[in-house]
Amino acid sequence: MEKPIMSAGPHIHSKDSSRRIMLDVIIALLPASAAAVVLYGLPALWMILTCVIASVVSEFLFNLIARRQQSVGDLSAVVTGLLLALNLSARVPLWQCALGSVFAIVLVKCVFGGIGHNFANPAITGRIFLLAAFTSTVAGGVWPGADAVSSATPLELIGTEGAELPTLLQMFLGQRGGAIGEGCILALLLGFAYLLIRKVISWQTPVIFVGTVFVCYLVASGSFTVALYEILAGGLVLGAVFMATDYTTTPITAEGRLLFALGCGLITFVIRRFCALPEGVSYSILCMNILAPWLEKWTRRKPLGGV
Amino acid sequence: MRKNISTLKLPHYKSTAGMAAVRMAVPKEVLLPVSPMNAHSATNAEPVVQAGDHVYVGQLIAKEKDRGSANLHASVSGTVKAIEPYTANGHRAVAIRIESDGKMEKDPGLKIPEPTNLDEFLACVQDSGVVGLGGAAYPVWAKLSAAQKNHIGTVLVNGAECEPFITSDHRVMLEHGDLIQKGIELLKKFLGSEEFIIGIEKNKPDAIEALTQRFKDDPAVKILPLSSVYPQGAKQVLLYNATGKVVEKGQRLASLGVIIINVSSLVKMAEYFVTGMPMVERIITVDGSAVKEPKNLIIPIGVTVRDVVEACGGLKEEPGKILFGGAMMGKTQESLDTAILKATNAVVIMNRKDAQKTEPSPCIHCGRCVAVCPLGLNPTAFSRAMELEDEDQRAALLQKEQVKVCMECGCCSYVCPSHRPLAQNNNAAMGFLRKWEKARKEGGK
Repeated sequence: MEKPIMSAGPHIHSKDSSRRIMLDVIIALLPASAAAVVLYGLPALWMILTCVIASVVSEFLFNLIARRQQSVGDLSAVVTGLLLALNLSARVPLWQCALGSVFAIVLVKCVFGGIGHNFANPAITGRIFLLAAFTSTVAGGVWPGADAVSSATPLELIGTEGAELPTLLQMFLGQRGGAIGEGCILALLLGFAYLLIRKVISWQTPVIFVGTVFVCYLVASGSFTVALYEILAGGLVLGAVFMATDYTTTPITAEGRLLFALGCGLITFVIRRFCALPEGVSYSILCMNILAPWLEKWTRRKPLGGV
Repeated sequence: MRKNISTLKLPHYKSTAGMAAVRMAVPKEVLLPVSPMNAHSATNAEPVVQAGDHVYVGQLIAKEKDRGSANLHASVSGTVKAIEPYTANGHRAVAIRIESDGKMEKDPGLKIPEPTNLDEFLACVQDSGVVGLGGAAYPVWAKLSAAQKNHIGTVLVNGAECEPFITSDHRVMLEHGDLIQKGIELLKKFLGSEEFIIGIEKNKPDAIEALTQRFKDDPAVKILPLSSVYPQGAKQVLLYNATGKVVEKGQRLASLGVIIINVSSLVKMAEYFVTGMPMVERIITVDGSAVKEPKNLIIPIGVTVRDVVEACGGLKEEPGKILFGGAMMGKTQESLDTAILKATNAVVIMNRKDAQKTEPSPCIHCGRCVAVCPLGLNPTAFSRAMELEDEDQRAALLQKEQVKVCMECGCCSYVCPSHRPLAQNNNAAMGFLRKWEKARKEGGK
């Protein structure tokens, strides 16, 4: 008879795993990915595939070269690639998509120690890198249906007098310029609902992030429609649901995550309203990523029976 | 309104809840350890019998040595075969081996105790050898002796039984309501306590109903249904959920005027004052995927796991893990020849498949361990601390993050999607910090 196993408790475990969580995020991104292909056609599909493959391959090769344990099985590289693709406009050539993915995976994630060790969100940092390097293609957006003719996004138009803006319904369904995955709010909300049902994320972060932007605009403009327009525009919903809820780069405490979301909302508002940049979601999340360790410290609870 | 601590919903696996406790056949022999097995065994006692002596059931065979140990009585009648080395889980101990004569003859010298004041009462409880049966095994008389210094206004009777698999307390509540009543009367009389709260998880509606009926005319006794969440029966959690009080750092529970006593301990104590029989037997739950016929058994203390398993129809599969206690905080045992101690409330034997562990992967910072910790600790901080090379820095971080508050309930490990052994790390961290602080103290002198 083999000896019984000796180990510390507990001796049962929940069915969850990191891989399952990543798979859930991928599933939650499927409606948005499908919407991207419907709106922008096959080029969107090639972008998604390019980013995902480039992400997975670069993580695989990094682990191979650095002699680290292979980690592509945890599916987090797929999530990064998918998110990056959805955050880019249809004008970005495939080689830039690939380059952004390699940057996100290798420089933002792997060199810091891989999954769980990166201080900033890889997809967001990858997008910001591409934005800085290839401003002409990454900034702005393509209107769905148009033959890849560059045009202004609603957020750029909103300050321009006489510009014709899409209706709120068009905004909700993604009939507007911007990154391929950010437009169809309906698809993003489906993903949000799925993540809530699977208990992968809690509702607070996205709701507070979007809510803060909404309230700021309501106060600043006094117009309900403008405030509504602002939260449907840009990458706000995509960022709030999928990137401000990233585990690794947000505080570990529930209270810290509330402050994180609040900060994201405020910074987004300030950038959109007062800065030269049309869009602030990526930058706001990156800023708060950097503050996350501090938020975690400030929101430490006094343990029961401790000091 | 105060929000109850409510953390983890677990599968209950309490398939034995409906099974009345049955007495197992008299075993051929019993093994009763008389030297410390671990921090919570209360087995440090001095033998007062010799090899060859005849003993009766209930006869004192070893006398307690210190406040953390308890008197030990023969659990079968027969002959002391040896006082011999005994090893279990790497602890080298000494055990008294008694060969049973099969008659289970009671010690004719046993008398029903009749204490008249608190000191006499405590001395009787001390004689009975009853220890905390929820697992901590702290002698009950020592716990009750807090009443000599503090007025114990409230007695919390712990019938939560939040651990998966275990139903022995549940059976005790259903089958020994009379003894619960007797125990409460004793504590009323000698401790002068005014309030008794019996906390029971709602997954035991029959026990709640039975005890509510029994105590319906006694305003001092309140039956408190608790939500079925783990670890509802842990000291801090039960105290908070039942009274809103918290034992702060450096405080003792008794200084709040409260004691918590496990319902089975209360019943065992009461039994001594009814029958004069000290602690020689108890109800245990035998369950797990490798056991053929899971049961609640009345067993003499000191039977081996092997005998208990036989009484349950044997094993249907090779044992992958043998646990004393439930699936969360149970302690693994290395062999079927291990003897059952007073505080063993369950024997859970899992098959190989259920016992398999998943390899840990890196922490993804999901925060589930922080959200689930009933005491509000951050297990990832302890992991980070333990990775620090510098021992002083490590100790400083552990102190700051209050690792010593941890009660090792295992919730963090249970929820971790990366399958990291967080509870085990907490234990290692506590061990490290204790050693470091001791060395510091000695160095400072």
